[in-house]
Amino acid sequence: MKDPAPLTTDHPGQVVSVTPPAPGRSRRLSDRWLAVTFISPAMLLLLAMSVFPLLWSLYLSFTDYSATRGGPAHFIGFGNYTAILTSAQVHTRALTTLLYVVGAVGLQTVLGFGIAYLISRRTHGRGVLTTLFLVPMMLSPVVVGLFWRFMLDAQFGVVNSMLGSVGLGQVEWLTRQRTALISLIVVDTWQWTPFIMLIALAGLSAVPKYLYEAASIDRASEWFRFRTITLPLVWPLLLIAVMFRAIEAFRLFDLVYILTNGGPGVSTETLSFHIYKVAFLGFNTGTASAYGILMVLVVIVLTQLYLRYLNKLKED
Amino acid sequence: MRFPKRIGQTSNTGRKVRLATAAMLLVATTVTACGDSKDDGAKTSAPKAPATIPELTKDPLTLSFIWFDWPPAKVLEDFANAEYKKERPNATIKVNTVPNANWHDAMFTQFAARKTDFDIAILDSQHIGEAVTNGNILDLTDFVKSNIDVNAYNPYLLAAYGQFPQAETGKRDENASLYGLPLLGDTWTMIYRKDLIGDKPPQTWDQMISAAEKCQADNPGISGLAFHQANGSDAAAVTYNTVNGVYGGNLWDPKARKIDGVLNDAAGQEAMDVLVNKMKPLTAKGSGNWFIDEVNAAVAQGKACIAFNWIAASGGLLDPKQSTLGTTREQILDKLGFATLPSQKTDLVPLGGMGMHVSAYSASANQAEALNFMKWFEQADVQKKWAAAGGVPARTDALQSPEFLNAGPFNNVYADSVPRMRDMWNVPEYARLVDIENTNVNAALNGAKKPKDALDDIAKEQQGVLDSSNRKGGGGL
Repeated sequence: MKDPAPLTTDHPGQVVSVTPPAPGRSRRLSDRWLAVTFISPAMLLLLAMSVFPLLWSLYLSFTDYSATRGGPAHFIGFGNYTAILTSAQVHTRALTTLLYVVGAVGLQTVLGFGIAYLISRRTHGRGVLTTLFLVPMMLSPVVVGLFWRFMLDAQFGVVNSMLGSVGLGQVEWLTRQRTALISLIVVDTWQWTPFIMLIALAGLSAVPKYLYEAASIDRASEWFRFRTITLPLVWPLLLIAVMFRAIEAFRLFDLVYILTNGGPGVSTETLSFHIYKVAFLGFNTGTASAYGILMVLVVIVLTQLYLRYLNKLKED
Repeated sequence: MRFPKRIGQTSNTGRKVRLATAAMLLVATTVTACGDSKDDGAKTSAPKAPATIPELTKDPLTLSFIWFDWPPAKVLEDFANAEYKKERPNATIKVNTVPNANWHDAMFTQFAARKTDFDIAILDSQHIGEAVTNGNILDLTDFVKSNIDVNAYNPYLLAAYGQFPQAETGKRDENASLYGLPLLGDTWTMIYRKDLIGDKPPQTWDQMISAAEKCQADNPGISGLAFHQANGSDAAAVTYNTVNGVYGGNLWDPKARKIDGVLNDAAGQEAMDVLVNKMKPLTAKGSGNWFIDEVNAAVAQGKACIAFNWIAASGGLLDPKQSTLGTTREQILDKLGFATLPSQKTDLVPLGGMGMHVSAYSASANQAEALNFMKWFEQADVQKKWAAAGGVPARTDALQSPEFLNAGPFNNVYADSVPRMRDMWNVPEYARLVDIENTNVNAALNGAKKPKDALDDIAKEQQGVLDSSNRKGGGGL
C-alpha cells in the first residue's frame, strides 16, 4: 500500500503540494462530458425515433409523396394543408372526434372523481378497492375492444341478453349511428375512468386533515366542506388528469378499429382513424403527414392554452 | 479565490461544437433512414421474372406466403408441405396469416419498405393493379409462356388472377402481361335451409326474397336472410356489387374511366333499393356488421333461412362440431342446400379467390423457388390433389374432375358459376374505391344514409378518386 502524499515539506519556504487526482480518471473526462456520454444513447434514440420522424413528416407534408408509388417527392407548398382544412370529410371526422372527447372525458371525470371521493372516505379496504378499479386500465385496448364487441353484439351479446331478461328490447349497439358513438364512449369510460380516479385519489389524500377538522368544529355541512375544501384543492390535479385523458382521447384509434371500424358508414370515424385510411389505403403519405402534423399542432396549441389556465389557477 | 465552474454553464465554443454535433447526428440519421431512397427517383415498373426457372438451391429454404386468416390458408400450408416436399425435400412452406382487415396493409406496407418477409403474396385480383404499378411483384409473362399451359384454364380465371390491365368480363387479352397465377378460385354460394324452404332453391332474385320473407314469417326467431354488411374489407361492397350485377347494373365504364352516371343509373338505383328496402328487413337485428364468420355462425346455429357466403369459407358449415343442425355431416346436409346465385336480369356472380404473385423484394433463391412452386402447383395432377385436399382449383380439367366435384357439396356451385363471374375494378386506386363503396353501402344498410344518397355519394366520390391523379395536394381525402 502506498503512503499518503505528504502535505508538508522539510524545506521551509517551499510551496505545499496538493494531492494529485486519483488515478484511473482522465483529466479530459469532466463531469460535463461524463453526463453527455451517459445521456447520448437516450438522445440518439430520441433523435432517431422521435425527432427525425417528426421532421421527416414535416418535410413530406409539403410534398405529394406516396410510400408505395415511389418516385420523387414533389414540393407542393401548402397544398395538402389547404385540402385538409377545407375538406368536408375532415370536418365531419373532427366533429365526431370532438363529440367523443367531450363525452368520454366528461363522463370519466365525473365518475372517476366520484369513485375516488367514495374510496377516500373509506377506512377499510381502500387498497383492495383501488387495485380492483385499476384492472381495466391495465388491459390492452385491443383486448378491451374485442371483448366489448362480443358483449355488445346485438344477437349474442350479454348486454342485450341482460336487457332482454328485464323485458327491454334488443339494442343495436354497434350498428346504429347514435348508439355506436355512445358505445365507444362507454367502453373508453370503462377502461380509463380508473386513471382519473387514481389521480383524484392522490389529490384527495393530499388534502390536509386539519382543514376538515376546523370545518367540523365550525359545524360546516358535508356539501360545504366538499365545495370549499375538497374541490378547490383537488381541482388543479384533476384538470391535469383531464388534460392527459383529452390528449389520449383526441388520438383514439384502437377502439374504433376493433369495435365499429368507423361505422355505420363513417359515423364513428375519428381523425386518427381517417389518417390511417389516408396513409394506408391510398398510401397518400404526403397528405397523411400533413394531417398528422395538423393534429399535433392542435394538441400543442390547446395544451398551451390549458396550461396557461392551470398556471393562472395556481397563481390565484 | 476561485469558484468552481457552474455545472451546466458552457462556453460559446463548446455550445457551438455540441450544436454542430447534434446537427450532424440528425443529418446522419436522415441519410441513414433514407439510404434506400435511390429507388425512389426511378419510375417503378414490375421487374420481369426469367422465362426459365433458375437453378434451385440445395440448402434448406422456407418459402413464405402471406394471406389472411381463414381456413384455406391452413389447407394450403398442410397440402404444400405434404406434396411439394416430395419434389423439393429441402423446401418448407410457411403461410403467414393476418386478420382479413389488415391483409392489404400487411402486404403493401412491406412493399412500401421495399423489403418483404414473404416470397409469394396472395393478392386479391383487385390488388394486382396497385402492385404492378408500384413495381412490387414480378412480371411473369415470359415465365408463363415457357412453363404454363394457358389453354388448360378458363381464360377469364387466368386473366382475373394475373392479368393487368384488367380483362373485360369473360375475356382475356392474349397480349396483356401476366403477373400472377391462380391459387384459389371462389365465388358466392347461396346456402338455403332445405327443411324450411324446400329442396328446390329459388331461381330468381325476386323468388329468393319471397322465399326468405315467407320462411321468416313462418319461423319466428329465424331471419330470412344473412349476408355480408360490414364496413371492413370489401364486405358490404361485394354485396352491393352482386345485387347490382344481378339487376343489370354496371360498376363503371372502364374505357372512359367513368363511374358517376354509370354506377348510379336506373339499374344501380334499383339494385340499391332491393338491397336496402327488400333484403335488409329480412336480416337479423344488429347484423349490420356481419362478415364471413358471422354469416357462417348464423347458418350453423340455424338462425337464417337463406345466406350468402364465399364458397372457400363454407367448409366449416358441414362440421358437426361447429353446427347445431345435426350431429353428422349427412344430417347437416339434409337441412342445408348449396346453390348458384339466383338470376334476375342477368346471371352474374361475384368473382372471388386469389392468385399467387412473386415479391420483387424476395431473395433470388426464394424467387426461383417460388417460380418452381407455381409451375408445380399448376400441373394437372397437382391441381386435382389440391381439389381433393379442399382447395378450389382453376384449371378446367381439375374443375371437372371427380376429385373436385365430389370433395364438397358446394364445388358443383363453383364449377357452374365460372362462366358467370364478374370482378370489381382492378386498378391501382382499388383500395380507396372499395373503401368508399363499403362505407356508403354500410351506411345505407344501417340507416345512416338514404339508399339513393349513398349510391350517388359512392359514384361521386369514386369518380373523384379516378379523376384526382393530377391534383396537387390532398390526395386520399
